[in-house]
Amino acid sequence: MRKPKDIAAFFPERLRLRKRSSLGGYLLVAPYLLHLVVFFGYPLLFSFVLIFHRWDIITPMEFVGLKNFARLLRDELFFRALLNTGLFLTLHIPLQIVVALFFAELLNRPLKGRGFFRAAYFMPVVVSGVVITILFQQLFAFDTGLINRMLRALGGEPVPWLVSPALAMPSIALMATWKNVGLYIVLFLVGLQHIPKHLYEAAELDGANAWQRWWHVTLPMLNPAIVTVVVLSTIGGFSLFIEPYLLTGGGPLNATLSAVLYIYNQAFYFNHMGYAAALGFCFALIILVVVLLQRRLVEADTWS
Amino acid sequence: MRQLGLYILLLAGLLVFAYPFVWMAIATFTPEPEIPELTLWPSRWTLDHYRLVFERIPIGRALLNSVVVAVTVTASALVLNSMAAYALAKLHWRGREAVFTLLLFTLMVPFLLLLIPLYTLVVRLGWTDSLLGLIVPFMANATGVLILRQSFLTIPQDLLDAARIDGCGELRILFTIIWPLSIPALVTVGLLTFMASWNEVLWPILVVRELQWMTMPQMVALFAVGGGAEGQLGPQLAAAFLLALPIVLAYLFFQRYFIQSFATGGLKG
Amino acid sequence: MRGNTSAHHPKWHVLLLSALMLLGCHRTLPLPTPEAGTVRLVYWTAPNPDEVALARTLVSEWNALHPEVQVVVQPIPAGQSSEEVLLAAVVAGTTPDVCSNIWPGIVRDFVKAGALLPLDRFAGFDSLWNSRIPPTLHEVFRAPDGHVYQLPWKTNPIMMLYNAGLFEEVGLQRPPRTYSEYLEAARRIAADTNGDGLIDRWMGYRDIRPIWWQRYFDYYAFYIAASGGRTLFDRQGQLALDTVASNQVFAFFAQLYAMGAFPKTSLQGGGGPFIRGQLATDFTGPWHLVWLEKNAPPALRYEVAPIPVPDDHEGPVYTYGDYKNIAIFATTRHPEAAWRFVRFLVSREADRRLLEATRQIPVRQGLLEDPYFAPVFAKYPLLAHFAAQAAYTRSVDSVPDLKELLDAIAQEFEAAAVYRVRTPSEATRRALRRMQMILDWNA
Repeated sequence: MRKPKDIAAFFPERLRLRKRSSLGGYLLVAPYLLHLVVFFGYPLLFSFVLIFHRWDIITPMEFVGLKNFARLLRDELFFRALLNTGLFLTLHIPLQIVVALFFAELLNRPLKGRGFFRAAYFMPVVVSGVVITILFQQLFAFDTGLINRMLRALGGEPVPWLVSPALAMPSIALMATWKNVGLYIVLFLVGLQHIPKHLYEAAELDGANAWQRWWHVTLPMLNPAIVTVVVLSTIGGFSLFIEPYLLTGGGPLNATLSAVLYIYNQAFYFNHMGYAAALGFCFALIILVVVLLQRRLVEADTWS
Repeated sequence: MRQLGLYILLLAGLLVFAYPFVWMAIATFTPEPEIPELTLWPSRWTLDHYRLVFERIPIGRALLNSVVVAVTVTASALVLNSMAAYALAKLHWRGREAVFTLLLFTLMVPFLLLLIPLYTLVVRLGWTDSLLGLIVPFMANATGVLILRQSFLTIPQDLLDAARIDGCGELRILFTIIWPLSIPALVTVGLLTFMASWNEVLWPILVVRELQWMTMPQMVALFAVGGGAEGQLGPQLAAAFLLALPIVLAYLFFQRYFIQSFATGGLKG
Repeated sequence: MRGNTSAHHPKWHVLLLSALMLLGCHRTLPLPTPEAGTVRLVYWTAPNPDEVALARTLVSEWNALHPEVQVVVQPIPAGQSSEEVLLAAVVAGTTPDVCSNIWPGIVRDFVKAGALLPLDRFAGFDSLWNSRIPPTLHEVFRAPDGHVYQLPWKTNPIMMLYNAGLFEEVGLQRPPRTYSEYLEAARRIAADTNGDGLIDRWMGYRDIRPIWWQRYFDYYAFYIAASGGRTLFDRQGQLALDTVASNQVFAFFAQLYAMGAFPKTSLQGGGGPFIRGQLATDFTGPWHLVWLEKNAPPALRYEVAPIPVPDDHEGPVYTYGDYKNIAIFATTRHPEAAWRFVRFLVSREADRRLLEATRQIPVRQGLLEDPYFAPVFAKYPLLAHFAAQAAYTRSVDSVPDLKELLDAIAQEFEAAAVYRVRTPSEATRRALRRMQMILDWNA
């Protein structure tokens, strides 16, 4: 293709167009950039200021140096929120991958009506988290909940889903899995459909059975999709808010206190803007580290 | 035979993922004492729960707020994002690569970090308890720009050059030539933005305290947890059902687009 | 609003206003200076229907008597809590002239933000203060700088409401006075009345979620009683928790939950379970009497007694008094008129109306001795108990981060009393440790 400079030599029009293109570029990107600066850049920079201050909005900001971080290290609720998020992710991610893979494989077969099933499994994804939470509140309730009623009808014991400190977070993990698995089924389906057939044929020729074909061809080829699922779920796990907020208020015994919920409590019940910002900063840092580690680990696996 | 087995498994999945919604829908018309029972069908249908919901909370107003916010945010995002995507994909200007890197950087920053500063900014601007606070911070987003840029890159340069020679301004090129050729990407970004805006509940809880400016998810959430339903299950479920209805209806008609949009969005994430 | 806070309106608001003034346009914005001397005051009251009704009555009386100072009543806008709404108003500069729903816990922050006017600068303050406010409360509501920014209006002492009929049924002629008596009553009362294997009649009920203000009705009230009237901090603002009392309170509630006398599930329905005979006692304040009168079945016989104290307790029983005070916001343009209205709100006549309409106790000394109030107490005999208790109440300490300090206690209450994963003394220690961490962070 002829370079623009050459064209300009022969066609001054093109040169004018290029200059206009430059100006156009600046003008077109300007609104977005303005929005970025005001609603991303400024808050980002301000967060680096806020974490070294105490502020309750109605009185002037007070510089406190590293005091917020000193408190953070002594704050058992900060570590509790981390622990809870870790527990949530440890349960949620593997469960989600297994279930999503399972149904993706089922849907990958040439079955009639699989579009219908796919759409049905996907529906919880588009519905608001508030709806899902209210629904599960009725399913998980200890005495009047649907699940416990069914258990009692079958002669079993009711399970203290949300009132036991040990079971509360797992219940929320279960609920989150239920809500999101449709999305990951779709992602895995796309991944499955992109695996070149010849890889399977080659494996079959090598004498691999169905299980071995799955383990050595399907799984490695799905790795990018699995990484995506893991990373998205991790970020989602740290953003957990409306579920604990509505279902348990962070309890019982802070078993469901999530990162965002703790930040919310600090900022809006106690008006500790600076400390809440410091919490957000630390959690964000941890998310970045975890995601980076995850990418490293899973990608290293691909080539093993 | 294996086919049958597969269908059974798929149906089991259907039961797990779809039945709870069916149960919820039926429960909203079931008299209160019967809701926790295990009967499949109510003894009589009642509209009492819905009546309570409409009496207790201005849910119609909340619906309106949600619609206005979501539509405005989506329209604005489509316009601003495409403008930026076009500039990044097809136009040449100094600093283009720098801006693109900046864009990728914004995706790396978790919202957690920005939550409090963004809230204090909105407070200082005086945008709490107003639709401005709900709309303006979300009028553009990096994911949308990425998706659109990806799509715009595939548009042949010659088409654009020809239009320019004809005297078309860049904005006209964008809306009359590029947009018609990028419908799938636009639908994706539109749907994703609309869904995110409609379902967003943390931000309205922070920014809006007065009933008249609350969005629908926020109002339903407060109704369920704030005791407005007086501990009755029926009204809570009814409110939730009303909240789910618009999206579910849209989903039933446009599910293919929804699914595709999320798949694209997920892969880009 | 005064001060160098960062939450002013953008400056273009001022420009626009000036432009409009210059153009002489008819404004819909509130006028900065009144014409013809009519002053307009905005008065915010709690969103409670009885208080709103009371406010409207009082205000229409005032408006009739004072055509030159017209007051507009507004219930505090609905939101999560009154304190949050007030805080948002302070931030936005949209505070009313007068508000009578000020919780003492927020006054310190508001004063620091320059949002409230000192009341002791007004004419007639001293005589009002000395005549109305009981001497024991004089120093409690004075700010560290020596001024008074809140005028105590009403209080709700937390006492024990009990179902006399139910007590007699199990052989108890008088209400429990000590922890042992209460626990013994609980043993007799907690039962499974319909034979389904689950206890459905309980001694009492507390919201077990660790919500900090719920603890006013259990831990905090009982702590004040058990410690003989001490709060969490001393006069110098130092943390001075009576650990013995704290341990006793934790242990008391732990035993109740251990024997199943208090349910661990959430009982919804306000006062419903009590009037249905499912709860034998309820720790509540006089405001609840209004609801009871409307909803309790005639067969229900309920009485009021002080909350239980540890067995070795001597002296009067103190309790938590949920005070709501009146304040004038600094944004007011008519401080003198606002002060006159405030004096009207706490006049003898207004206090009696308050007592009658809302059953909440005005913070006025000599209520029970004053014959002017006697008819009200004759009509509502249970109110006399609350009025007597009002002299023996304590409010919250005026310290920074009060809410989070109470939250630390609420966490330990949940752990020690409800779930019993900690011993009471461990819980007190941990609460102290967390409170100290918060205080260190403040220092």
